[in-house]
Amino acid sequence: MEEILTNHAPDYSKPILSVDNLVVKFNLRGQVLTALRGISMELYKGESLAIVGESGSGKSVFCKTFMGLLDNNGWIDDGSIQYGGYDLTSFKKEKEWIKIRGKRIAMVFQDPMTSLNPLKTIGKQIQEAFTLHNKVSKEEAKKRTLELLTDVGIEDAERRYKQYPHEFSGGMRQRVVIAIAMACVPEILICDEPTTALDVTIQAQILELLKRLQEKYGLTVIYITHDLGVVANVADRIAVMYAGDIVEIGTCDEVFYDPKHPYTWALLSSLPQLGVKGEDLYSIEGTPPNLFQHIKGDAFSARNPQALKVDFVARPPYFEVTPTHKARTWLLDPRAPKIAPPPQLKNITKLSRGGDLD
Amino acid sequence: MFLVLSIVFMLMRLLPVEGYFEGRSDTMSETVKNNILKELGLLDPWYKQLYNFWRKLLLEGDLGKSIVIRKNVPCVDIILPKAKVSFQFGIIALAIQLAVGLTLGVFMARGKGKLIDTLGNAYVLLINALPAAVYFLAIQLYLSTALKLPMLFDPLRAQSRILPIICLSLGGIASNAMWMRRYMVDQMNMDYIRLARAKGMTSRQVAFRHVMRNAFIPMAQSLPTSILFTISGSLYVESLFSIPGMGGLLIQSIQRQDNTMVQAMVLLYSVISITGLLLGDLAMMVCDPRIKLVKKGEGR
Repeated sequence: MEEILTNHAPDYSKPILSVDNLVVKFNLRGQVLTALRGISMELYKGESLAIVGESGSGKSVFCKTFMGLLDNNGWIDDGSIQYGGYDLTSFKKEKEWIKIRGKRIAMVFQDPMTSLNPLKTIGKQIQEAFTLHNKVSKEEAKKRTLELLTDVGIEDAERRYKQYPHEFSGGMRQRVVIAIAMACVPEILICDEPTTALDVTIQAQILELLKRLQEKYGLTVIYITHDLGVVANVADRIAVMYAGDIVEIGTCDEVFYDPKHPYTWALLSSLPQLGVKGEDLYSIEGTPPNLFQHIKGDAFSARNPQALKVDFVARPPYFEVTPTHKARTWLLDPRAPKIAPPPQLKNITKLSRGGDLD
Repeated sequence: MFLVLSIVFMLMRLLPVEGYFEGRSDTMSETVKNNILKELGLLDPWYKQLYNFWRKLLLEGDLGKSIVIRKNVPCVDIILPKAKVSFQFGIIALAIQLAVGLTLGVFMARGKGKLIDTLGNAYVLLINALPAAVYFLAIQLYLSTALKLPMLFDPLRAQSRILPIICLSLGGIASNAMWMRRYMVDQMNMDYIRLARAKGMTSRQVAFRHVMRNAFIPMAQSLPTSILFTISGSLYVESLFSIPGMGGLLIQSIQRQDNTMVQAMVLLYSVISITGLLLGDLAMMVCDPRIKLVKKGEGR
């Protein structure tokens, strides 16, 4: 991959979606779990934002709240999501969500093998997404569907239209899922680990496709992933999530080359590309905190060998490094001792810009 | 099918010959007995008997003549009118079972954990836990007085059919509702339902356009068998309401040692099961596009 930065130009002057202090809780067997602990974030028009973090850090839950697709046992406890003049957290009825879902915010799911209804032709499934939000004749809808199929790189659309999902390979099915998401040309496209279930050669193709669609339609794309290779390849900005909170957010370069939060350090250190031949790869000790309990201080402190005393007592606020880069760590407080990032992170610059992170 | 029929026929031949003497074997002399057997072709070697049996069945539709139940009347003539009566009741009951059972199942699945689901489950549990005899009797005794309906079947009065049909339907409604609910709940947890919701469909649209059809497929397989088996009637309901159906015929024939009747009915039932299974598989193929192409055991 030659280019890390994509050619399109995000407009950082106006956020199209802004999240403020979002708290999401789930009721699991009578116990209350706090999945998101007061997230704030802004999404800008035309950018691609990658949300990274380990399993269970709340990446998917976070994005599902944008579409009102939380499971029945989950609810938004506090905070607001401003989008297009609405506060999405105030939406209660399905009727209100229908205006947004699929039409203005669409989603691509992780596993294309199970994301399509096995008993409907893929043509019908794409067409359905289109006709739900547009009152058009059948012929017109079909024409649009064929266009979409071609758009996502499926050849011989007329024949493919009539086929069932089992006649498609994994990569082709993911293209169909993308076509469904693109049916109404949404403003925001959420890709929930779009390439995890695919093999490597197909991954690159799908990412290329998403990039092309983004440029063509001026989409704002959110990638949810734990694959830093994908991130380096597509993202303008990166948000690092840990235990239901964004601990660091910044442009791709800032997070990769000048990370501030100890968790981001640890995450980057465990990149296999940074390992030294013959030595064990770096791994983060311990497990993420139990979200059933109230988390005191910095969520990562328990696993951070260099944690400060204050990390166990008080939750750090966001400290701004640059206007685009902020992190939630006491290390950025002027009173904090200077702790240097782990030495192996220096190698990440050696991988060079435009280098091979994936 | 050929094999099953032949095996049944050969097994019947192994039975003691006394069945052919109308229960009077003690008083008959050896010569009379031999004459009867010879007349029926039973002294021929087995392969010849088998050949004759198939020839008659295929060319003349002849299953032999009844010996005890109605002497010398062809079995087909005994079975057909009874089967017709049973079929009439059965097919109506089946239609009700499907219509009510599936609807109930759909609503139970849609309102999972809510009042309708609890009530439905209570009904399913009740029907399955109680012996059928108890609620059949209760229906016959109480419902007939409450609704002023006749207690026994009378071919001339249409109202007299209502109660037996209700009885026949109850069990089927329960099992249909139970399975439909289960399959729907299974389907609703699938990934593609999440995608359909993300497209912007209401949960009602998802339930009707995506879930229902997919949930019905496993049920479609058993449908032809149930349709065909309606003609066998229900032993209990038919005797309770004195309906002249097929219900007790097989047992009656066995008890009274009417060998040809038993043979004819066992043949009939095996034909029904096999055709039913075959049609069931064909029905699956029609409903599920994957089955045409996917080999057995490879389905996802």
